[in-house]
Amino acid sequence: MNFTNSQIYSDTLPSIEDVVLKPISKQYIKIILIHKFLMYAMFFAMLIFGKFFAQNQVFQDYFWVLLLIICLFCAANLTVALLAFRTYKYAIREHDIIYAQGLIFRSITTVPIVRIQHIEESRSWLSRQFDLATLNIYTAGASGSDLIIKGLEHQEARRINDFISGRINGDKSIF
Amino acid sequence: METNQFSEPTRQSSKGILIIFALKTFKFFKSFFLLFLAFGVSFSRSKYFENLSLSLVVLIGFGILVYLLVVAFLNYWNFKFYLKDDDFYLTTGILNKESTVISKSKIQNVYIKQNFLQQLIDVVSLNIETAGDTDSEIEIRALGKSVALQLKAELFTKSSNTPLQNETLENKKVFCRVAPKRLLLEGISQNHLRNFLIIVSFVYGLYYEFTSYISNLEFESRLEELINFKDDIASNFVIQYFVFIVFGILVTLVFSVIKTFVIHFNLEVVEHQKTIEINKGLFNKVSLSLVPNRIQNIVIKTNRFKQYLNLHTVSVKQAMVHKKQRDNFVIIALEKNQVNQLLDKLLLNYSTPSATFKPHAYYKRILAFRIFIPIPIINMLGYLMFGSAFLWFNIILVVTAMLYVYFAYKKAYYSIDDNFVTIGGGVIDTVTSILEIHKIQAVELKQTIFQKRHHITSVYIFTASKTLKIPYILEKEAKAIHDFLLFKVESQAKDWM
Repeated sequence: MNFTNSQIYSDTLPSIEDVVLKPISKQYIKIILIHKFLMYAMFFAMLIFGKFFAQNQVFQDYFWVLLLIICLFCAANLTVALLAFRTYKYAIREHDIIYAQGLIFRSITTVPIVRIQHIEESRSWLSRQFDLATLNIYTAGASGSDLIIKGLEHQEARRINDFISGRINGDKSIF
Repeated sequence: METNQFSEPTRQSSKGILIIFALKTFKFFKSFFLLFLAFGVSFSRSKYFENLSLSLVVLIGFGILVYLLVVAFLNYWNFKFYLKDDDFYLTTGILNKESTVISKSKIQNVYIKQNFLQQLIDVVSLNIETAGDTDSEIEIRALGKSVALQLKAELFTKSSNTPLQNETLENKKVFCRVAPKRLLLEGISQNHLRNFLIIVSFVYGLYYEFTSYISNLEFESRLEELINFKDDIASNFVIQYFVFIVFGILVTLVFSVIKTFVIHFNLEVVEHQKTIEINKGLFNKVSLSLVPNRIQNIVIKTNRFKQYLNLHTVSVKQAMVHKKQRDNFVIIALEKNQVNQLLDKLLLNYSTPSATFKPHAYYKRILAFRIFIPIPIINMLGYLMFGSAFLWFNIILVVTAMLYVYFAYKKAYYSIDDNFVTIGGGVIDTVTSILEIHKIQAVELKQTIFQKRHHITSVYIFTASKTLKIPYILEKEAKAIHDFLLFKVESQAKDWM
């Protein structure tokens, strides 16, 4: 009866190791870059604004140090973001949805389809320009168990949405 | 009693007007309390309101009361509920009409409460809670006790054609009852640090609210006179602190005991055919009904001291329960065998796990990391404030930190069998969390880039009420657990509530 029956579940159960995770759309990297770019632009604008208008002597003295720090931060942030991009992967199995993410903090979340409360497709203005969509998958779990898959191709998101909605509505045992 | 008692739209007991009125008045005075205070002070100095006579003030007060009474009456008059088929209907609202429908199958728990006023006029309030939004709770504030029991019974009866009376009132059996002596022990052995903080923040809050009044009373100098011995002798300084600490501990102890008594007075667990009922409370009497298959997790807590006194606490976690209600689902001061009996009743076929597994030794490293990081910072601050004598304090700090790591690792274990996940943990407390596998909502594997090198992964198990964590085990095991849990959830197609 105990955990030692790992015989069964290591050999015959469908394993997460066998799942081929699919990367999200390459287009999404552009959205990440645009967001980052806007953020950095704001940082630098604030700095330059400070350089010309701030009266504070301490700030003026350390301006170049500050600039260097921000440049370094931006470079590090961008590198991590680009490397992390490759880790955003998902897979739809017959009975569940798997989503992997994170470079430094890696996580793989699996939500059984029978536990999905509802599913939502959202598209921001920017993602519409690249024909992308975000899928929000809600469960009744405590915070953290909801899945948000960003950067899916619109067609793909639609397909997943239809598949899951069909499964939720078709199966009376869910709710 | 006929079964169709609630098929017609019913109002609550007419005493409800009184309850609503009292509640509204209380709320009104509570929200305007500070205003009244300020008003009262300036009025007594009679600088600004010279043309406002006492009789006018009384008149205004009277007007407010009449207004509140009318509102209370309208509230009562427009509050109607009835049962039809398997649904509960409620219409409320004076100007904005609101109607609510709750299907019986969605009701998570029904509880009966009785506060002090309700005890005086002999009515109870009945709460209906679903697992939906946090504010979807319904409260019927004034019902006769027998009516409330009848309504409760009907709400828990699934289809309307089964007979119901005999099931609820006759088949009940008192499961366990907690004697006052055990409540006293529980009060004494509680976590006093938390209560101490509550008291301190309360006193602090009061102090700030009334700083000006207190300074008028010259409270501080009086206190100083009271405790001041001779300032120049260092040992007296120590004695002063000692007196303060002993006093603080005593107050906290008394507070803990009183709090325990007030909340858990006459705690009893009653077993019905389908539900478990918890009754308790001194001023606020509560009676909760739990449907076992709605329970998401069960947490059992004890510690060394409590274990010696054979005191165990069982918390029942349900989906999305109000924060303030969550405390009500706690059953304290249980003996070990009572805990086991209760588990038998709440979880079908649960047996204490025979084979348990421990987290990887890597967990110790994480724990040490967590506890030893603050020590240099504490040292730095302490050194700045107290000088080099503070460094001796490190002996205590380091020993405490080592004990923390030792106990946290020693108490951590997990066990998974066919239907249940059991996870142990805690440092001072010994915490056992039990979860039925088919109630899992999602499973997550987490590791940091550093843990990846050591093939260490944590498993997070999400349920509708609480997230459980199996900390730092080997990646291979974690994946096997992931696969097994999902296989169980997906192959059984059992409802999670």
